[in-house]
Amino acid sequence: MTELLETLKQQVIDALNLEDLTPEDIDVDAPLFGEGLGLDSIDALELIMILEKEYGIKHQSPAQGKEIFKSIRTMAEFIQANRTK
Amino acid sequence: MKEQPHNATQWQGTTDGLPWMHRALICVLGMVPVGVVYAIAAVFVVPFYILGRRQGYLVQYRFFRQAFGFGAFKAFRYACLNHLRFAQVIIDRFAVYGGRKFTFDVEGRADYDELAHGESGFVQVFSHAGNYELAGYELRQPRKRLYALLFRDGSQTIMDNRASVFAPNGVEMVFVQPDMSHIFLLSNVVRDGNIASIPGDRIFGSRKFVECQFMGSPARFPLGPFRLAAVRQAPIVAIFVMKESWTSYRIFVRRLDSSDQGQKPTALGLAQQFADNLEDVVRRYPEQWFNYFDFWQNENNGI
Repeated sequence: MTELLETLKQQVIDALNLEDLTPEDIDVDAPLFGEGLGLDSIDALELIMILEKEYGIKHQSPAQGKEIFKSIRTMAEFIQANRTK
Repeated sequence: MKEQPHNATQWQGTTDGLPWMHRALICVLGMVPVGVVYAIAAVFVVPFYILGRRQGYLVQYRFFRQAFGFGAFKAFRYACLNHLRFAQVIIDRFAVYGGRKFTFDVEGRADYDELAHGESGFVQVFSHAGNYELAGYELRQPRKRLYALLFRDGSQTIMDNRASVFAPNGVEMVFVQPDMSHIFLLSNVVRDGNIASIPGDRIFGSRKFVECQFMGSPARFPLGPFRLAAVRQAPIVAIFVMKESWTSYRIFVRRLDSSDQGQKPTALGLAQQFADNLEDVVRRYPEQWFNYFDFWQNENNGI
């Protein structure tokens, strides 16, 4: 899980071009949207693509989205439970 | 062009009037020629909006003065004409709810049909110039469903009528949700081979925008539709539905493509292409610019 968390942090930084951040700057339990990392709702598109391309998860329910992308940790837990690659 | 967070809340636009008024208008338009209702609107409604609600008039007046360089009298005349044309397109929407038919000439139908019959999902981006809502009655997509991201208009009558008119054409309405579920839904829509229809000239939901050159000055366009197309590497098409006469419209289908030189399309490149196409259409139909707010939001450029 620790490795996945670190990998995921780097993938989020790369996908969203968060050039000012390093993986160490990201608290895995901090909210991704609003407070915390301060992402905008449209940034969810890039997170969806991470799940699809990197982990082969293609069937996310729109209603689940906010819970999945609550934090890096919730993303990682979802990936661990649903990844196909 | 720049990608920036957006802090201001933009005017969203709603349809005035009470639900019973909307129902009565639909009923009347089912029986009376639209020209009669246009005349009533020209005499009683348009002057009310020009004289009584000056904000919209002033925005349009400045638009014609500064974006088009019109003189004072010509800008006044066009601002009045704009209000008249806006009344007409609103009446036309209600007329369709009442069963009226309009005729359409389509420029670029082959492009649209190619996308509509293809396997790939795509993004359909539109503006508040002309009467986009009427595109749904002419441009068909028998193999796909179209999901239209809309403002939740205050009137349930309008929403109910839109839903009933759109449903047989495979059109579903999607509203911005605080839980961002609309983002996931629209992403799935494009991935699964369907159509996401999103306004390209209003910043709502996401606060991010891109700054593009438009009518001679930098203006803010929403990032959402262009980023969706870029991230999904999906085709994106701009649709403009412009009123030509009392009973006819011309639909412009413009395929956006920044993938020349072997590069992947970028949201910024797509947004600028949309802005360029919008400018072309607005210059051809200047009185059909229906964004009643300061589109440029930039004190320095004066527009």
